[in-house]
Amino acid sequence: MAVEPYQRDTNGRGSLQAVISSLVGNKMPPIAQQPAMGFFTDTSLCIGCKACEVACKQWNQLPASDAIWTGSSYDNTGELSPTTWRHVQFIEHIGRREQGLNGLRDDIDAQIAQAKSSGVIPMTPAGTALPFFNTDRWLMQSDVCKHCAPAPCQEACPTGAIIRTEFDTVYVQQDICNGCGYCVVACPFGVIARDEVGDHTVHKCTLCYDRMKDGIEPACAKACPTDSIQFGEVEKLKAHARERVGILQARGVKEARLYGVDDGMLDGGLNSSFLLLDEPEVYNLPDNPTRPANNVVPASLWTMLAAMILGVFGFIFFRGD
Amino acid sequence: MQETRLPQTIQENLSPSPLMERLATLTTGYTPDLERELEVESSYFDYPVLKEPTWRWEIIWYFFFGGLAGGCYLIASLASLFGSKEDRAVARAGYYLSLLALMPCPPLLIKDLGRPERFLHMLRIFKVKSPMSMGTWGLVSFSLFSGLTAVIQAARDGILGRWWGARLLAGVPQRLIALPGTVLGIFLGGYTGVLLAATSVPLWSRSRVLGAVFVSSAISTSSALISFVLRMTGAPARTLHKLERLEWMAMLIEMAGLLTFLRGTGRAARPLVGTAPAEHGRNFWSLVFGGGLALPWLLQTASLLSGRRKNKKNNGRGIIISLLVLLGGYFLRRTIIEAGHSSSRDARTTLWNARR
Repeated sequence: MAVEPYQRDTNGRGSLQAVISSLVGNKMPPIAQQPAMGFFTDTSLCIGCKACEVACKQWNQLPASDAIWTGSSYDNTGELSPTTWRHVQFIEHIGRREQGLNGLRDDIDAQIAQAKSSGVIPMTPAGTALPFFNTDRWLMQSDVCKHCAPAPCQEACPTGAIIRTEFDTVYVQQDICNGCGYCVVACPFGVIARDEVGDHTVHKCTLCYDRMKDGIEPACAKACPTDSIQFGEVEKLKAHARERVGILQARGVKEARLYGVDDGMLDGGLNSSFLLLDEPEVYNLPDNPTRPANNVVPASLWTMLAAMILGVFGFIFFRGD
Repeated sequence: MQETRLPQTIQENLSPSPLMERLATLTTGYTPDLERELEVESSYFDYPVLKEPTWRWEIIWYFFFGGLAGGCYLIASLASLFGSKEDRAVARAGYYLSLLALMPCPPLLIKDLGRPERFLHMLRIFKVKSPMSMGTWGLVSFSLFSGLTAVIQAARDGILGRWWGARLLAGVPQRLIALPGTVLGIFLGGYTGVLLAATSVPLWSRSRVLGAVFVSSAISTSSALISFVLRMTGAPARTLHKLERLEWMAMLIEMAGLLTFLRGTGRAARPLVGTAPAEHGRNFWSLVFGGGLALPWLLQTASLLSGRRKNKKNNGRGIIISLLVLLGGYFLRRTIIEAGHSSSRDARTTLWNARR
């Protein structure tokens, strides 16, 4: 899924108009808008190879994180960080049958009985490498910046360091960021973070802006061996996501669901969306986070109300004797 | 969350305080039930959903001093615009204290940045949607007004000498400048709460009334500071009485605001009011709500009632009230920032907060 190579509009360069515009501060004509680009991460295809993590680190020249043994799963990365922009999660669902979770025991018993009587073993549900009668699951997800359509980090940024590129991705201009930390608390997904050992500015996935400019897909998508990470135009990816979840549902993977594809999330959807095999919270994804900027008006009104009441009382107290 | 075993002595120190726990349940309307929550709720190994705020002591002190700068300016303007001749003392002290409290603010904010040398990047843009951008512009313009008003005050007080420049400054209409300055002062006292409300941290953002709490605290701490200074320098009892009534009212509204905040925040307020490890209820109940608000408010009530009868100033009690209120105002900001750190680390409450 390649992008059209980026061509800068060179019309008028060197002309009198360009000289004048450079004098008044417009150094360059605005970059032509491109279709919105994003990721679709289909976790039903993820095999947890962490190739995306490695490819991302290599391409973006990010230092390796300290080797920490989490002890809880194969995930020793732990979280997205200023130097880790792809993070593969490992969620072990073991012993679900014994616990009889969600009526799975009955379902499985019925399926086994069915298989015995008809002599046909049903197809393995997608996303499970295990035999159909086994309810143990190993969910994997390659987490990444969501490139939210209205991005809370971008809305919070007081310096204008965080911008939307011509590809409608969310990008931090490292030479502008002064590390105020407001985007860190604005992000509802805990993605963007300040690098406390390196340059003390915030970092996150750039959706390989440099590669996109040259019409190449991002490093993680390129490296993904199962096409779990798909890159392309957001609208096309969303259409594909809806199709894919329909196929999975039809094949009996009732838990399959989309995350961030519909426009309800954060008032505009996510340009980097996901197909999940369980509730979002199992993957530490908030179900329906609020957009922090929506709080500005109500919070301001409450503040003004309190100030007004106290102002009136102050007037009364100082006036009257 | 796994149960962590602590050494005996620490465990005793951290054993839940029944009174504070009852207050926490009462005010938030939420009783923790860890076992049930662990069974029903899912998360990814309880790893935090959010990143921890980068803000620490610099921001706590900035919130405190910023509130004082804005609040002192507001009270000084009220006294200068509506007060009697005696109340000029309030205006004088208020304008000087406002500038004094403002002085440490820019260095604190710059020190807090990851790249302090890039602090001017804050002035690249003007962004209504970002409370921090608005706050920067508000602080810059307020410091202009605060500085100008204080200089005029100094010229009028004869501190700047008797040369023509000082006489010119003394003639500038201070009240006219005070009008926009007061609006900016109120903004400075309250925007910090709006800034915290416009984040994803459950404690800060859920109820949206933090700005109202901060602005009333700005006014209560400022009247405490001004009345403290006036008591030290000797001011008329009637003027002090006016300040005390304003302080009393500000504390009342602050308490009402805090209770609304706690009720509206519900479960997400646990890091602020609970007494488990990493929860800041001990400081909150003893230094903020108890020692910083309820106790001085009751003392103030008693002093206002007796003052009405005898019309005398009770300096000792007044000074104690002022100090308690100032301490409470500092710890209000401190516990809210520190509890915000704990709130951001609590994965399941963050996920609960995003379920609507």
